[in-house]
This record gives sequence, structure tokens and C-alpha cells, in this order.
Amino acid sequence: MPTAGSVLRAAATLVAFALIVVPILIVVLAAFSPSDYFQFPPPGLSMRWFIEFFRLDNMRSAFALSVELALASATIATILGTLAALYLARRGGMLANILQSLFVAPLVFPTIILGVALLLLYKTIGMPVFSGLLLAHCVVGMPYGFRTVLASAQGLDPSLEEAGQSLGAGPLRTLVLVTLPLIWPGVLSGWLFAFIVSFGELNTALFLTGPGVTTLPIEIFSYLQFQGSQLVIAAASSIQIALIVILVAVVERIVGIARITRAR
Amino acid sequence: MNAHTDDVRLVGVRKRFGSVVAVDDVSLGIARGTIFSLLGPSGCGKTTTLRLIAGFEQPDAGDIFIRGVRVTPMPPYRRDFSMVFQSYALFPHLTVAENVAFGLRMRRVARGERARSVGEALALVKLEALADRHPRQLSGGQQQRVALARAIVVKPAVLLLDEPLGALDKQLREEMQVELRSLQQRLGITAVFVTHDQEEALTLSDCVAVMRNGVIEQIGAPRDIYDRPRNAFVASFLGASNFIDGIVVGRDAASIIVETPAARVRVPGDRSAGERVQIAVRPERLRMEGSDAQGLPARIRDIVYRGPVTHFHLDSAAGPLLSYRQNARASDFRIGDEVRCEWDSDSAVVLDGPGE
Amino acid sequence: MRSAWRWFLLAPPLALLLVFFVVPVVYLFWVSLHAGSTSELYGASLTLRNYTALVGDSFYLTIIGRTLAIAAVILGLCLVIGYPVAYFVAMLPPRRRMLATLVLLFPLMVSNVVRAYGWVALLERRGVVNTTLHDLGLLDAPLALLYTPSAVVVALMTILLPYMVISIANTLAGLDRRYLEAAQALGASPVRTFLHVTLPLSAPGIASGTLLVFLLTLSAYVTITLVGGPRSKLLVSMIYDSVTAFQWPRAAALAFVLLVLALAFTAGMLALLRPGRVQGSAR
Repeated sequence: MPTAGSVLRAAATLVAFALIVVPILIVVLAAFSPSDYFQFPPPGLSMRWFIEFFRLDNMRSAFALSVELALASATIATILGTLAALYLARRGGMLANILQSLFVAPLVFPTIILGVALLLLYKTIGMPVFSGLLLAHCVVGMPYGFRTVLASAQGLDPSLEEAGQSLGAGPLRTLVLVTLPLIWPGVLSGWLFAFIVSFGELNTALFLTGPGVTTLPIEIFSYLQFQGSQLVIAAASSIQIALIVILVAVVERIVGIARITRAR
Repeated sequence: MNAHTDDVRLVGVRKRFGSVVAVDDVSLGIARGTIFSLLGPSGCGKTTTLRLIAGFEQPDAGDIFIRGVRVTPMPPYRRDFSMVFQSYALFPHLTVAENVAFGLRMRRVARGERARSVGEALALVKLEALADRHPRQLSGGQQQRVALARAIVVKPAVLLLDEPLGALDKQLREEMQVELRSLQQRLGITAVFVTHDQEEALTLSDCVAVMRNGVIEQIGAPRDIYDRPRNAFVASFLGASNFIDGIVVGRDAASIIVETPAARVRVPGDRSAGERVQIAVRPERLRMEGSDAQGLPARIRDIVYRGPVTHFHLDSAAGPLLSYRQNARASDFRIGDEVRCEWDSDSAVVLDGPGE
Repeated sequence: MRSAWRWFLLAPPLALLLVFFVVPVVYLFWVSLHAGSTSELYGASLTLRNYTALVGDSFYLTIIGRTLAIAAVILGLCLVIGYPVAYFVAMLPPRRRMLATLVLLFPLMVSNVVRAYGWVALLERRGVVNTTLHDLGLLDAPLALLYTPSAVVVALMTILLPYMVISIANTLAGLDRRYLEAAQALGASPVRTFLHVTLPLSAPGIASGTLLVFLLTLSAYVTITLVGGPRSKLLVSMIYDSVTAFQWPRAAALAFVLLVLALAFTAGMLALLRPGRVQGSAR
């Protein structure tokens, strides 16, 4: 029996979901527009803007840089986050709590301030642009791997590692042969989050990109600011969206299958 | 304790967690080829003692020796032992055979020999058919046997077991107790296990250490500590017991005469006249005779049928008493009957310490 | 020996955070205490003038006030719309709830610049809204929807709404139903059960959602610039402008004002809702 309250809630949900999703759908739709400007409803579908995207040097190189940056920073961030999580997994006490808050801090710290601070530091010490950007994204991405691996590691039966040791496996072999095989879904999903975040990241890239070294989101932003609403931007945006969808689907398959083979 | 033939030796071991002393100056020796059990209520320190032998905890004081080697500073992966964990701790990502082979891999045993040993171990626990399954596909009892196979295949100097049968139902547990014992005897492995179940300890062990609050209250063969408990705690932890208070009024060569509120009784022991003592008698040793016999007068308060035995709850001037009677034939006792309680002279024990 | 090798676990990540997170922020603060310079990054003398100038200047105070006002409106809208949506999602059967959560999570993975662009495409003069209304005959001249404070509020609100919904929905979904049953057994109507039991118990979710939305609003430079236009300046825009003008001490001071606002809000939120208070379980 639907009550007034539940009808209102359902309506609110519908409106909210529409407001959230519609802008993204509009962008994807605009990317397939055959004409020079966006028409709604669209008269047809065309791939011309995608072709234009790959024709433009700056777009192509921004895309390539974003992918490189995301791959590198996600990998480094996840390795570091995993190390930190393994260290803290079975630790309690005040120091451990402080460390844990520190490793999660970049998630809540305003990244715009981090961007400014890093630019200042880089200018002072003369850091090359790509490395600086890479390190910034490692800082921003590390908490994701840290959190997912921490959850995985803490969910493990502590006797498993002790069992490894009782059978003669030292700390390193226990880590490689017992712990890692059991937490790798956490590592992979942490990597995925770090990749996605880096790929779409704006606030530090805003300050840390430079001439010739720019990421796709920043390139899109510059276009929008200075050249108006060109539809090649819609194509660029759609490519970004598509990449994310593919990545999430792939990892979901792998991690999903892993869950079936792991009884956890 | 014999330093030359003991496989495991603890000397003055102490371990504290914060302000709690979990293991308080414990010394013990475990002879080769025997099953030794650490028995006691939760929090008595038995699991901590086991983990100290394994090396998962470091003692604050004292030393631990395995086959004469001082292992105290060594981490677990260098000590010659293996362990069956309470949760079995089978590696979920490995098959049964890979689990069992793990310890052999660590010891760099060649592949062919490894496969052979794994096969033998699985045959010993009757699980050869399940070698390629994963742990989650096995029942609790099967998992427990894999854990056992994994631990014995490496032929350790000592096998540690942490409440290994706790998760099994009663019938399975009793089966496993028998299997465990026969396996241990066949292989001649020295085994130490931890349990809170006194029946299990009595069934399985060659030697039992009863612990309380980090201290060993009594150590000895099952029959010895059952028949001759040293104090009221041991007496009541291992089965039920009757406790009778009294004062020593006389003595002779091997026994003392104790005046209890109900009657005067003779008990083996050595005390001075005038001392207050507590006597323990097992209910199955307390016989009820007719009211014209000698012995402690009592009246039947309650009769509880328990299948193979019947429990008789009695009231006497010496306090409540409990008597077990086998139901070999129908008994003619009724509630309210006046009886006399007797026991064989060597069935009673004088306990240490004041009454509990 | 054991603790030595554990250091190899902690040292690398800790080093990264210390060198590229803690040190830069501390350095930024240090620079904010210096006078400006035209030739160097910052001047030689130490001064508090960068901060006092902000507090005394009505220009900056207006901007800070405007920033907080917009943040407050966005927060209010996210709460008012977000809570019912979260309730709806939390009450869904598990499969559908997972699907709904996926639909909510997906936009968060798309870069904010793309989502802001979506709103630009919707609200601009030749955008979807205007052309649709025109084609339906409801409009002669296009409405100036873009480059207004309302546009910024709407765009940011929809971009940040998923954070609020997911935060609250997670808390609500984890609520022990027995609390609600106990309240009803004691005679509380659905409305009163909600007000006196559900709402207080969802405080942790409300708190974390509010915190996230507020912090992200403060930092949302790209959205504010694209949807609000080049003339709508909020605190974060001032920071960006100062950096591009190489006025580092001023940029640093503004950045720290933003940080202080963020910290003050966080502290206030933790104190007000005291989420730790509602932990526990129905036993």
C-alpha cells in the first residue's frame, strides 16, 4: 500500500536520478551530432567529432598523457597503499590510528590546496612537469588502494598467516604465498579507483600541467573556457566516459569471478 | 621433567599482556612420543602457553626448548613444530593437496618426494579422494583432517593443537579423538594440545596439566589427577566431586582421622591434629548403603535419571552430597530415604588449601 | 628482527605522504607569512599582512560570504533531496539497491569537467533547455540560464548529490530494523519513529555526507568557472587568479583561509552530530 511518504520518496528519487544522469547523457548525445552545433532533438548520428578528436594533435596527446599518467600513478599509488595497509592491518593503538588517518587524509583534504602547495614546491625545487603531476596523483590515489586492501587484509583469518609461519614460511614468503593471493581483489579494485580518479582529476592538474604537458580533462576545460562549446569536446568527454565504463566492466568480471573461486 | 628425553621444555616462562599475567612462572617437560594436554577454563593461560611454544608470543621471562634447542629467541618459522589451528586455517586459494604440500615446499623437498609424502599423509587421514578439492568444498570434519595431514606430513618434533575438535559435533568429536590418538601413537609424534573439555583431556592424553590464572595447578597422568586431585579447583574441574570439611582428631601411619559434622572418617593422608581439612570423594565412589550400615548418615533429596547412571542428591550434616549409581539393575531407593554413605578408604583424598 | 623488515612496508608510503603532502602544505603556510615579491616567488620579510588584508577588505569578505552562502544552499538542497532518495534506495531489495548504487556511483567516476559541460550544454543560449522551450512555442527569446548563481547551485548540487545519497543510504541500510520495531512496539507512529529513532541514528551518514559535499563545494573551481562564468568569483577562483598572477603569498593565505573554513566546518560537524554517540547495537 503506497503511502504519501513512499510516493514522494519515489518521485524525489526519479527527479534526482534524472538531474544527475541527464547532463552526462546530453554530452554523449552531442558527441554523435552530425552538425556543427548541438541540436536537440538530434537530426541524426555521426562519428565526425570522434574522427576530429583523433585528428587534433593536442587532443590526442592530452588523451595519451592522461592514460599514461593514470596507469603510472594508479600502479605506484596502489603498491604504496598496499604496503601501508599490510603494515597497519593487524596493528592497534594510538600511533596506528594516527597513521591510518594520515593515509586516508588526501581523500578529504581539499585537493585544490594540494595543487597550489605542490606547484609552489615544484617551482621552488625545479621539478619537471610530468613527474610532479605523477607524484601529485600518487598522493591523491593512494588512499583508495589503502582502504580496499586494508579491508581485505583485516577480513582475513589471522590464523592463516600464522599457519604459514608454523609450516616454515618466513615473513616475506608468507606475504607472497598466503596474504597476497587472498587480498588481490582488494588490490585490483583499489587500482581501479586510483586510475579512474587520476583520469578525471582536475584540481591538482589545474595547477600542475604546463604547455605541452596537459591532461584530457584540463584540455577539455581550456577548450570550454576559451573556444566555447565545440562539439569535439563532447567527443573527448564521451571517450573518457567510454574508457571508464570498459575498465569498470573488465575489473568487475575479474573480481567477480575471483569472488566465486574464493569462498569469501 | 627430564632434560634428556623431553621433546619440549618450558623453564620459568612468564608472559603478561598489559596488566594481566597470562602465564605465571610455568615450568614443564613433555616426554617424547606422548600426548600432553593443557586443560583449564577460559583465560587460564593454556592457549598463551601453546603460542609461546610456537613462537607466536614472546615470553617476558624464562626459556623454551624444543628437542634440546633453545628456541626462545627464534621466530616461529625457524622452530621445529607444526600446528593445527582452531579455525583450521586452511589456505583457501590452494587445493587440499597443495595445502598439505605447503610445509614440504618450505623445506625445499623435491617435487616427486613431496607428492609421495602428501599422498601418504592424505591416506593416513583417509582423504586421498579429495586431494584436488578446495577447502570450502569440504565439511568441517574433513577440513580438520586436512589440517592434521598438513601438520604431520612435515614430521615435526612437536605437534601443537589449539582446541582442534572444538568446532565438531559430539559424535564426530568422539570419533576424531580416537583417530587422533591412534594416529599419534602410530607415528610416535610428540603432541601438545589445548582444551577446555576435561573429558577430552582425560581421553586423549598421556599427561595433563590443569591450569588456572596462568599457573599450573596440577600435572600428571589422567588417572592420577582424577583420583588424586590436589585441590578443590582440580577436583571440581575434572568431573564432579563431593567436598566434606572436618578437623583432624587423630592419625596413624598412613592415614588421618577426621571429625566431620556428620561422622568420623578415616582418610589416607598426612596432617597434624587440630588442622582443618577438606576431603574430596568422587560421586561414583560414594556408595549408599542401608540405614543400618556404618558410614555418613544422609537423606535422599532428589533422584535424577541420566541414562546409564542415576544421580542421587543427598543432604547430610556435612553438607550436600552427590552419588552416582550405575543402572545395572533397578534400584529401590526413594526420595526421603535415610541412607549411610560409604567409600573405600583409598577413594577419598585430602585436598590442599582451605576449603573453597 | 621482525620489526625491522616491517619498516619496509611503512617507509615508502609514509615518505610519499610526508614529502608530497605534509611538507608542501606546511611550506605553503610558511610562504603565506611572507610579503609579496615581483622578482622572486615570495619576499623576504615575515608578515601577517596577507591575512589581515583579507579580514579587513570588504571585497574579500564579500567573496568569502558568497562562497559560504552558496555552499549552505547547496548543502541544504542536497540534504532535503538527498535524504528521501537515500531512504528510498536503502529500502530497496538488495539487488535493486546495488543497481541503484551503481547508477549513483557511475557519474562520480566521470570527470567533473564533463558533468559541468553537460550543464553548459543544457543551459546555454542555444542549449537543450532553451531550444526545446523555443521549439515547443513557449519561448521567443532565449533565457539567460547560464552564468547565474542559480546555475552554479543547480549544477554543483547535482554533481555532489550522489555523495550525500550514498553516505546516508549506507548508514540507513545498516540500521538494525529491531530499533524501529522496538519503537513501534512502544507505540510510536511511523512519523515519530522516523523523527525520534531513524533520523538520529542516521546522523553518522548525514555528517559524512554533509562534510564531503561542503568540502567539495569549496574546491569546485572548474564547475564554478564553467557554469558561473568568468565574472562569478568565489574563494577558490581568487586562489586560482592569485596563482596565475604569481602572487604566491596572497594565494597561500587565501588557500589557508579555505583550509580553515574546511577544518572549522569539520570540527563543528563532529561536535554537533557526535556520530560516535550513536554507535552500538540492539541487543
